[in-house]
Amino acid sequence: MSRVSLKIVGAQGQGVNSVGEMCAKGLKRAGYCVFGLREYMSVIKNGHSSYQLDISNEKIRSAQKKVELLVCFNHHGIKKNLHDLKAEGILLHQTLQWKFSEEDQKFIDENNISVLYLPTEDVLKKLNAKPVLGNVLIASVVWSLFGRSADELKELVREQFGHKPELLELNYVCIGEGASFLESDQPSPRLRPARKGKGKGEKICLPESSEKWKEQLLITGSQAMGLGTIHAGCRAFFGYPMTPASPLLTFIADMQSESKMLVKQAEDEITAAQMMVGAMHMGTRAATATSGGGYDLMTETISMCGVSETPAVFILAQRPGPGTGLPTWSAQGDLLMAVSAGHGEFPRLVMSVSDAGDSFSVMMDAFNYAEEFQIPVTVLTEKHIAESLFTVEQSTFNNQQSTINRGKLILDKKGLSMLKSGDRYASEAPDGISARWLPGSEAPTYCAQSYEHSADGSFDESGENAKAQMEKRMMKMAALRKVIPEPELLTNSELRIKPTSPRLRGPGNSELKEELDVLIVSWGSNKNAILDFIQKEIFITQEQAPVLSEVEGSSPASHKNTRVGYLHYTYLWPLRTEKLLELSSKAKKTILIEGNEQGQLGMLIRQECGLEFDQRILKYDGRAFNVDELFNLLALSPSPSPTSLRKATARQAGIGELR
Amino acid sequence: MNSSSFKDGHVTSDYSSDNLCTWCDGCGNYGALGATKRALVELGLAPHQVLLCFDVGCHGNMSDKMLGYRFHGLHGRVISLASGAALANPDIPVLAFGGDGACFSEGVGHLVHAVRSNYNITFVLHNNANYGLTTGQASALTPRGEKMNTAPQGSVEETINSMDFVFSLKPTFVARTFSGDIRQMTDVLKAAVNHRGFSYVDVLQACPTYNKFATHEYLLEKCYDANAEGHDSSNFEVARKIAVDTSERIATGVLYQNKESVPFLDRIEARKGIKTRLVDEVETVDVSELIKIFT
Repeated sequence: MSRVSLKIVGAQGQGVNSVGEMCAKGLKRAGYCVFGLREYMSVIKNGHSSYQLDISNEKIRSAQKKVELLVCFNHHGIKKNLHDLKAEGILLHQTLQWKFSEEDQKFIDENNISVLYLPTEDVLKKLNAKPVLGNVLIASVVWSLFGRSADELKELVREQFGHKPELLELNYVCIGEGASFLESDQPSPRLRPARKGKGKGEKICLPESSEKWKEQLLITGSQAMGLGTIHAGCRAFFGYPMTPASPLLTFIADMQSESKMLVKQAEDEITAAQMMVGAMHMGTRAATATSGGGYDLMTETISMCGVSETPAVFILAQRPGPGTGLPTWSAQGDLLMAVSAGHGEFPRLVMSVSDAGDSFSVMMDAFNYAEEFQIPVTVLTEKHIAESLFTVEQSTFNNQQSTINRGKLILDKKGLSMLKSGDRYASEAPDGISARWLPGSEAPTYCAQSYEHSADGSFDESGENAKAQMEKRMMKMAALRKVIPEPELLTNSELRIKPTSPRLRGPGNSELKEELDVLIVSWGSNKNAILDFIQKEIFITQEQAPVLSEVEGSSPASHKNTRVGYLHYTYLWPLRTEKLLELSSKAKKTILIEGNEQGQLGMLIRQECGLEFDQRILKYDGRAFNVDELFNLLALSPSPSPTSLRKATARQAGIGELR
Repeated sequence: MNSSSFKDGHVTSDYSSDNLCTWCDGCGNYGALGATKRALVELGLAPHQVLLCFDVGCHGNMSDKMLGYRFHGLHGRVISLASGAALANPDIPVLAFGGDGACFSEGVGHLVHAVRSNYNITFVLHNNANYGLTTGQASALTPRGEKMNTAPQGSVEETINSMDFVFSLKPTFVARTFSGDIRQMTDVLKAAVNHRGFSYVDVLQACPTYNKFATHEYLLEKCYDANAEGHDSSNFEVARKIAVDTSERIATGVLYQNKESVPFLDRIEARKGIKTRLVDEVETVDVSELIKIFT
């Protein structure tokens, strides 16, 4: 599997994102799978930000640690990110007469890095173009470094500026300048040092493009979740700005003229939650989204939904806490909060997305479960999912199979005519799910009651009633546990990579007959790096096999691939553990991977079924896993690497590894 | 039973619940309960045609003392809950009931923004100038210096003038009434429900157990019907003046109404010209057109 990475760095507001997005879109259309990772600081201007694009002709879902091409908008980027380059990499910068430090020069020489200076200001001055056009110029140089045709870029700007002919013409001229930048014949003073050894010229070899990516979508988790929310029949969205939930609010607001959804920025998160619940109670579908601190404020409302049995959908976009924490970075530290938020005991559902695809597809399920079970549902996402760019098949979004299920909501005249007030919270209802009907319905009325109540919502402080109502509500939890999907098992062969072990071939893997060498268990965004890791691990094993055979004189056939199973949890509470227990009993080694310090899913698993993991890989430095660090940490290569080495790597990466 | 019958044949007994009232003798909530039922009946509304939202406090015990679709939620949050409900189905009149503790301390932010947003709901402030249900603590509306539970030497904080506060927010409907005048309260509530926008109704009510400073007798003595004296409720400045100054007499009735009021939902560009309500629109939406921008 080959992958090429481009990292664009600079001050916030300099155009890092515009160049990143333009390149991403162009590359996807040219036939590549692109993963875009945006990192930035919690400021508007001048903070250091980056946009990394990983590019491949195979499915990729995560970033690699080091890149082939680094584009620096300013000298801070050169100082900060130079060492992110791989050997033979290219640095493209626009800082006049930049002198590298001794250490950096040594790095450049030792790693045979090409340094390209682009005199952006001079070029723009010559063209009489505004500074903002520097973005197009830089994108165009990147484009030619990738050996792509300038026409592809022209097509992109034509879409954007087609209605402004003069500006479009200027964009074209900038693209032309950028494209010819590398083609000048004279020995270029811009390029230094002169390349040594074989080199690959100034061009970066992209893998062979593939038609299948051209028609796919390039979309962030937030945008996909917004579309999923619209698709699910949600008609009102209430929010309060908080990173990384804000991009969802922004996207849904921007979609208003198409969706006709009511979008309201409330005065605080409590209001957003209460308005959402009010709208749900009245009978529409509504949602709210926030991050950890805002969710803290919503927890009393979640508890109210529990006792009054009001459906509700809360989206919790995680960032590192505690407190204000690291607002623009990523984490999985709020799982236990979502599972236990709100006072008292009540049924709820907690689920998590992992990428843009399921950010779209789980939203219908979230609303359906909320209405069917009349419970609060929390959908977890992460900054790393919300703001990263994924390549997703269009068919994911055209899934006509997903339908609305409103559970025991009674809307028809006949059904309504048979109701009595006491049906609303009837404690004898099967599975604890009683009839629900809406204000305005011609039927006996009831009180949706946050006090403990009897069947029609009247106050009832008797012990007998309190017990019956608690049991009624908690019965829904048992019923829910039975219907939510089990975690999903992904193995080597399901990744559509030729399985090297014949034992893993064959139809389906749900009934895994054979032992696994390793069972990895995780949730959320980790799925992406884990699947890329498995893909890379197999690839390397396959690639190395002949090499090893030459060296060691062994035959490739004897070189057996590690059998890896990845169990991915989307539904986190209630927690299903049947499949996990079955698989772990067949695995030689179990590994838990999480983006938090305590191993929160591991804690829930131990609580629910007593299972302990052989190894835990936990990361809590505000960064999601990248494929390379997982590769180093898991070290599944045939010759096991010493534990001490793994620990050293772990420390270096700011990753905690326990047991 | 003392029922009044009006158009559509609804009678106040349609709203009667089997649950017994639990308020103290002489509590202003009895009057508020009676006037609310009466107003709904006189508006021609059957119990299934309204949503009544209750905050937590003594008044909240009304939630099972009458019928109608009701939601008894959290302390301080009733305005937001009711506003969200009203947006989802503008055809169902929504009334929100809350005390001065809930709405001038815990949830005062919601009041501020609901006035700004002009949600189409009626907000009834059960103003007894103290926290009754938690046994008589000072609220922001209790006169400074009154000896209250948790302030045995007298409260030391300034009192908020509720009317001055509300008028500062450019409201579209402000009324005041007194729990001892059920006829007036009924009329005020009817006008409030008919108003298109956020209707603020300040109900001065007796709390015989904890409020020794503004008793039923005191309110009976000081309140006067401003509308009967010819007050022009379209005049914002005059309305604010008579509402704020309660030193001699307390003006009651509909003090201010902006008849040009445009409620929140009608201000939303994306919803203009749409006849359906949000509650009618819950269906799967095909996003195949929307995804084109991502290709």
